[in-house]
Amino acid sequence: MPDQFNSNEGLTIWAVRSAACKSCDGHRSCGQERAGSRSYLCCGCGPGTGPSPTLSLLQDPGPGSGCSTHLAEHPTLAAPALEAQLFVEKFEGALGKGKGKKFYAYKVMMMKKWLKFQRDFENFKTACIPWEFKIKEIESHFGSSVASYFIFLRWMYGVNMILFGLSFGLVMIPEALMGKPYGTLPRKTVPRAEEANAMNFATLWDFSGFAQYSVLFYGYYDNKRTIGWLKFRMPLSYFLVGVGTIGYSFMVVIRTMAKNAHDDGGGDDTSFNFSWKMFTSWDYLIGNPETADNKFASITTSFKEAIVEEQESRKEENIHLTRFLRVLANFFAFCTLAGSGYLIYFVVRRSQQFALEGMDNLGWWERNEVNMVMSLLGMFCPTLFDVISSLENYHPRIALRWQLGRIFALFLGNLYTFIIALMDDINLKLEEEKIVRYNMTIWEASLYNGTVPENATAPPIQVDPADVPRGPCWETMVGQEFVRLTVSDTVTTYITILIGDFLRAVFVRFFNYCWCWDLEYGFPSYSEFDISGNVLGLIFNQGMIWMGSFYAPCLPAINIFRLHTSMYLQCWAVMCCNVPQERVFKASRSNNFYMAMLLFILFLSTLPVVYTVVSIPPSFDCGPFSGKTRMYEVIGETLEHDFPSWFAKVFGYASNPGLILPFILLMVLGIYYLNATSKSYKEANLELKKKKQKEK
Amino acid sequence: MGSRASTLLRDEEIEEIKKETGFSHSQITRLYSRFTSLDKGENGTLSREDFQRIPELAINPLGDRIINAFFPEGEDQVNFRGFMRTLAHFRPIEDNEKSKDQNGPEPLNSRSNKLHFAFRLYDLDKDDKISRDELLQVLRMMVGVNISDEQLGSIADRTIQEADQDGDSAISFAEFVKAFQYL
Repeated sequence: MPDQFNSNEGLTIWAVRSAACKSCDGHRSCGQERAGSRSYLCCGCGPGTGPSPTLSLLQDPGPGSGCSTHLAEHPTLAAPALEAQLFVEKFEGALGKGKGKKFYAYKVMMMKKWLKFQRDFENFKTACIPWEFKIKEIESHFGSSVASYFIFLRWMYGVNMILFGLSFGLVMIPEALMGKPYGTLPRKTVPRAEEANAMNFATLWDFSGFAQYSVLFYGYYDNKRTIGWLKFRMPLSYFLVGVGTIGYSFMVVIRTMAKNAHDDGGGDDTSFNFSWKMFTSWDYLIGNPETADNKFASITTSFKEAIVEEQESRKEENIHLTRFLRVLANFFAFCTLAGSGYLIYFVVRRSQQFALEGMDNLGWWERNEVNMVMSLLGMFCPTLFDVISSLENYHPRIALRWQLGRIFALFLGNLYTFIIALMDDINLKLEEEKIVRYNMTIWEASLYNGTVPENATAPPIQVDPADVPRGPCWETMVGQEFVRLTVSDTVTTYITILIGDFLRAVFVRFFNYCWCWDLEYGFPSYSEFDISGNVLGLIFNQGMIWMGSFYAPCLPAINIFRLHTSMYLQCWAVMCCNVPQERVFKASRSNNFYMAMLLFILFLSTLPVVYTVVSIPPSFDCGPFSGKTRMYEVIGETLEHDFPSWFAKVFGYASNPGLILPFILLMVLGIYYLNATSKSYKEANLELKKKKQKEK
Repeated sequence: MGSRASTLLRDEEIEEIKKETGFSHSQITRLYSRFTSLDKGENGTLSREDFQRIPELAINPLGDRIINAFFPEGEDQVNFRGFMRTLAHFRPIEDNEKSKDQNGPEPLNSRSNKLHFAFRLYDLDKDDKISRDELLQVLRMMVGVNISDEQLGSIADRTIQEADQDGDSAISFAEFVKAFQYL
C-alpha cells in the first residue's frame, strides 16, 4: 500500500491531478478549489492534529499549515484513507479527475441524451394520436358523453386500418401484382354484352362494369393453387385473411372490454367533489388562448355535470309509482318492437311473393315496399322510444342505454330483412348455375362444330374471353350488395347531417329576425347531437363490413375512407350547428356498453359468413375456390400438398371429437374458475374501499 | 445574456438563496436568467406589468391574485430575492429532504406551506377564512356567465358544506388542509 502513495500513479488515485496544494507546495497534490466542487485536502495537511483524521482530510488546508507527514507514515490516517481511496477509485470519473474522467463524462452525456430522447419520444407519441385536439375541443364544449362517440369512432378507425392492411396487403396486392392481368381469363373480363357501358359513371357507381371485374370483388380471383414466381398460395391466403379478420376483431373487442372493465371498478363518488372541482380545475400549464377558451368551457361543463349528478342523487323517489311507470314504459316499448317486427316479417313475405310473380307488373310502391317500410320505421320509432322513456325517469346515462338497446332491437329487424333478401338471391343464383352449366356444354360443342372433342391433342379453339358464356357468381353479387349498402348508408348520413343540422341551423339563425316566434328557443331551434343514432349507425355499419369483407376485399378500404371523412364532417357539424344538451351528463368511464353491442353484432355477422363458407358450394366459374365442393377444403388441400405427411395424420387425430369435447369442457371450466376469482377480487376491493371510508 | 447573469449574481448571494429556498445552483442561475428576461426595465426589479406579459398568467382566471402573491404588502416592485422566495413554494418535495434538519424552520416548499400559499390566493380579506362570497367571486371568474347565479350559489353552499366541520359557514385553513389530504 505505501507503494501506491509513493509512485506518481498512486498519487493520482488518491489525489487529484491538478495544481499543487497552496499549503504544501507540490509534495502531494490535493484538490484545487474549483467552483462547485469539493475541495480535497492535501494528505496530512489540516488545521492541527487535533480533529479526527477523516475530517481533517476533507477540510480545506489552512494557510500556512505544514505538510510534513506522508500519509503512509501517519498511523491513524491509514485505515480511513483506505476507505477514501476506494471511494475515489470507484467514482474517479464522477469526481472529474483521473483516467475514467472522459468515459464517465461520456456516460453522463449519453444518459442525459437518452432521457431527453425518451421524453421527446413520449411527447411525439402523444402528438401522434390523431384528432386529439379536435376531440378535446368537443369534450370541453359538449361534455364527455358526446366526446365518447368520437373516441369510439377513432378506435373503430384504428381497427379498420388493421383490417384494411390485412385485406389489401395479403389479398389485393398479390393478385394485382402476381395474378393474371385483366382480360386473360373469362372471369377477369367484362362480358361482351356489358362492354358498351362498362365505363359509365352510373355503372361504376353501382359497382358493376369495370369495378366488378377487378381485385375489388371476389369473382376476379383465380383458383390456381399458387400464383407468380413467389408461389403465393392465393386461395389459402384469401381464406385465412377472411378468418383472420374475424378472429382479430373478436380479440381486439374483448381486449378493449377487459381493459375498460377495471376502469369501471372505482365508483365516481368522492367526498369533497365540489371542493376539488372549485379549487383545482384550472390547468396552470395552459398558455394558448384557444386552449384557455376550451378549458373555460370544460370547467363549465364539468360543473353542470356535477349538478346533474347531485340532482339525480337527491331525487325523491316514490318507489312504487316509479316501478309501475317503468313497467308500463317497457310494455309499450315491447309492443312497439313486436309490432314493427311483425310488420317487417309481413312485408318481406309479400316481397318474396311479388318476386315469384315477376317484377314487371309491379308499381313503384310494391318494388320499394321493404325499403320504404324500413326507412319509415327508422324515422319514427326512435322518437316514439324517446317519448316512452320520459315516463321512466332514469338518470340520463341509464336512459341513454335503454334508448340504445331499444333502437338496436329495431335495427336488428332491418338486418333480418337484408339477410333474408340476400339468401333468396343466393338460392336463385344457385339454381341459375345448373342451367348455365348445361348451356355451357352445348356452347362448347357448338364451338367444335360437331367434331367430337375426345382427342385431347386437338388444339383448343381460341375464343376471346369476353365472349365465353359466364356462370352466375353469387359471391360477387353478395359483395356488391354490401358495398352498395355501405355507400348508400354513408351518403344518407351525410345528407341528413347537411340538411337536418346545417340547413336547419342556417334557417334558425337567419330567419329568426323575420319570424313570428323565437326560432331559437321554440321550435325548431338548433339540433342537439344525437348520440344514440350515431353510435348505432357506426356499429351496424361495422357489422356490414364484417359480413361483407369476405366477398368484397375492397370493403375495409371503403370503410376507412368513410370513417375518415365522417370524422372531419361530424366534428365540424357538431361545433358549428349543434348546441350542448340541457342536462349534460358524464359518460361512464368505460365504453363497455358500446363494446358489448359491438361484440354482439360481431357475433351476429360471423354467423352468415360461417354458414356460407361451410354449407353453400362456391360458384364454379369465379373466385379462388371455384371447382371445390366447399370453401374450407382449401385447408385440407394445403395440408396435403404443403405440409409433411405426418402433419396431416396428427391433424386428423386432433380433429377427432373424442379429443375436441374434453378440450371444450376444459375451456368451460377455465372460464368458470376465472370468473369466480375475478368476483372475489371485486368483493375484496369493495371491502377495502369501505374500510378506507370508515377511517376518514 | 448568460455572461450578464453570472456576473450580476454573486456566489454568496447564490449560497444564501440556496439555503433559504433549497434550489440548486443551476436552478438558481436559470431562474435568474428568466428573471432578467422578464425585467424589461432592466432595473433589477419586476413590476406587475412584467408578470402580465407571461401568457400562462395572463389567461389564468386567478392570474392577478398569483401575481399579487409575489409582491410583499403594499409594494409594487419585487427584487430577485423576493421572486425566489415566492417561487420556492413551488419546488417539488423531495424524499431525501424529509430526514434532514427536523429542528430547523420548515422549508418553504413543505406541503403545509404550499397549501398556505394556495389558501392565501382565495382568502382575499386575509381573515384566515374563505367565506361564501369569496367562493362566489372565484366561481364567477372560472365560469363566467354560463351558469346561472342561483346555481353558482348552490355550488358555493355545497362546497362549504363539504369542507366545513365546525359549522361556521366558512372554510378555515385547517378545514382546507383536511379537504386536500387525499388529493
